[in-house]
Amino acid sequence: MISADKGKLALTGVLTGAAAVVLTLLGNPGNMGFCIACFLRDTAGALHLHTTATVEYVRPEIIGIILGAFAMSVMRRDFRPSGGSSPVLRFVIGFIVMIGALVFLGCPLRMVLRLGGGDLNALTGLLGFTAGIGAGCLFLSSGFTLGRAERQSALEGAAFPSLTIIVYVLFLAVPALFLFSESGPGSMHAPAAASLLAGLLVGIAAERTRLCMAGGIRDIFLIRDFTLITGFAAIFAASLAGNLLTGSFHLGFTGQPVSHPYHLWNFLGMFAVGLGSVMLGGCPLRQLILAAEGSSDSVFAVFGMIAGAAAAHNFQLASAADKGPTVGGKIALVAGIIILAAIASLQTYRGRK
Amino acid sequence: METDDIKIATFHSHYGAMMFRRRMGGDAKLVPVPRSLSSSCGTAVVFTSCFDVTKTDENTEAVYERNSDEWRVIWKR
Repeated sequence: MISADKGKLALTGVLTGAAAVVLTLLGNPGNMGFCIACFLRDTAGALHLHTTATVEYVRPEIIGIILGAFAMSVMRRDFRPSGGSSPVLRFVIGFIVMIGALVFLGCPLRMVLRLGGGDLNALTGLLGFTAGIGAGCLFLSSGFTLGRAERQSALEGAAFPSLTIIVYVLFLAVPALFLFSESGPGSMHAPAAASLLAGLLVGIAAERTRLCMAGGIRDIFLIRDFTLITGFAAIFAASLAGNLLTGSFHLGFTGQPVSHPYHLWNFLGMFAVGLGSVMLGGCPLRQLILAAEGSSDSVFAVFGMIAGAAAAHNFQLASAADKGPTVGGKIALVAGIIILAAIASLQTYRGRK
Repeated sequence: METDDIKIATFHSHYGAMMFRRRMGGDAKLVPVPRSLSSSCGTAVVFTSCFDVTKTDENTEAVYERNSDEWRVIWKR
């Protein structure tokens, strides 16, 4: 059973890594075939939630992931509407995860894709991510929990996928409602049909296999289980092979696409993402999948990430590829890590009572 | 059949799983929750010894027994 799961995860990882390389060749920014943080941020910009002109686009990959996972969960009877497990705390944690991701410049999935492209700053990020997951595991082992989720109505569970469909139909029917970048990363994108198809495939596969960038490292720390890490490793291997084959592999710290070589802040950014992901029960990609499967708790985490992305750009907290982290970003990130630690400590104390 | 003795417990938190495993002792082992089971937390405990309800607590969600290819609920809070 376990080896079959590993096989499916390896296939999902290869699919995701290969799709990412293809999307980059078709127009997505470098090492950004997929990036849940960047794409939620671009979508937030397109929806007028922030005003940074270079990062505005309704990314069809996000739409595809949500709808692919939703369709698969309904077909395979995994659609289980639930909620009520500290939704506001999940919003706050999602918000901080996004700040960490935008200081580093990528979610855990993009971190792996950056590694596959030879960006060594992602290695610093991986160290921080692993340290954050390790800290989260200490809290989990000490009693941390965000509380029990209760069964919700089918309508509650279907509301988020329905909202996604409405946004995409409006995007196709009345594009003038949305903002589109004319320059910068937001202007760089694969053809919408290819992005949507890639998102659907990854959403379907990730729903079936429970692919999670944080879960693999967490399971090694907590239960010495190497199943979920297979997906992580396969994405890296596929993107590395794809980048080598297409001549997109460039080893080094500098001159990397949408990346900066400020090591401390790359480490701390991904530390926040790792710790927050363990507290939420999964990385940003997994939160999208869980939201599509009917978890309104994960919907709150996703909304927190969208709000975090909007704040990161409205208040200049996001790093710039050339200049690195901003003063505001550094302050927000350190404050965010302190808030995460405080929430984790208080919920651990409560969990042991 | 040997596999018929396998039982699996699911939990509301990882801490609950850890404590249950400690109380069960023997061959009880922490594992990821199987795909076919729904659970609040991703950690389960698999064991083959007799299920003793006094070893559960408020963090224990359910206990299943392997019945050929599927899991059958034998206890639920």
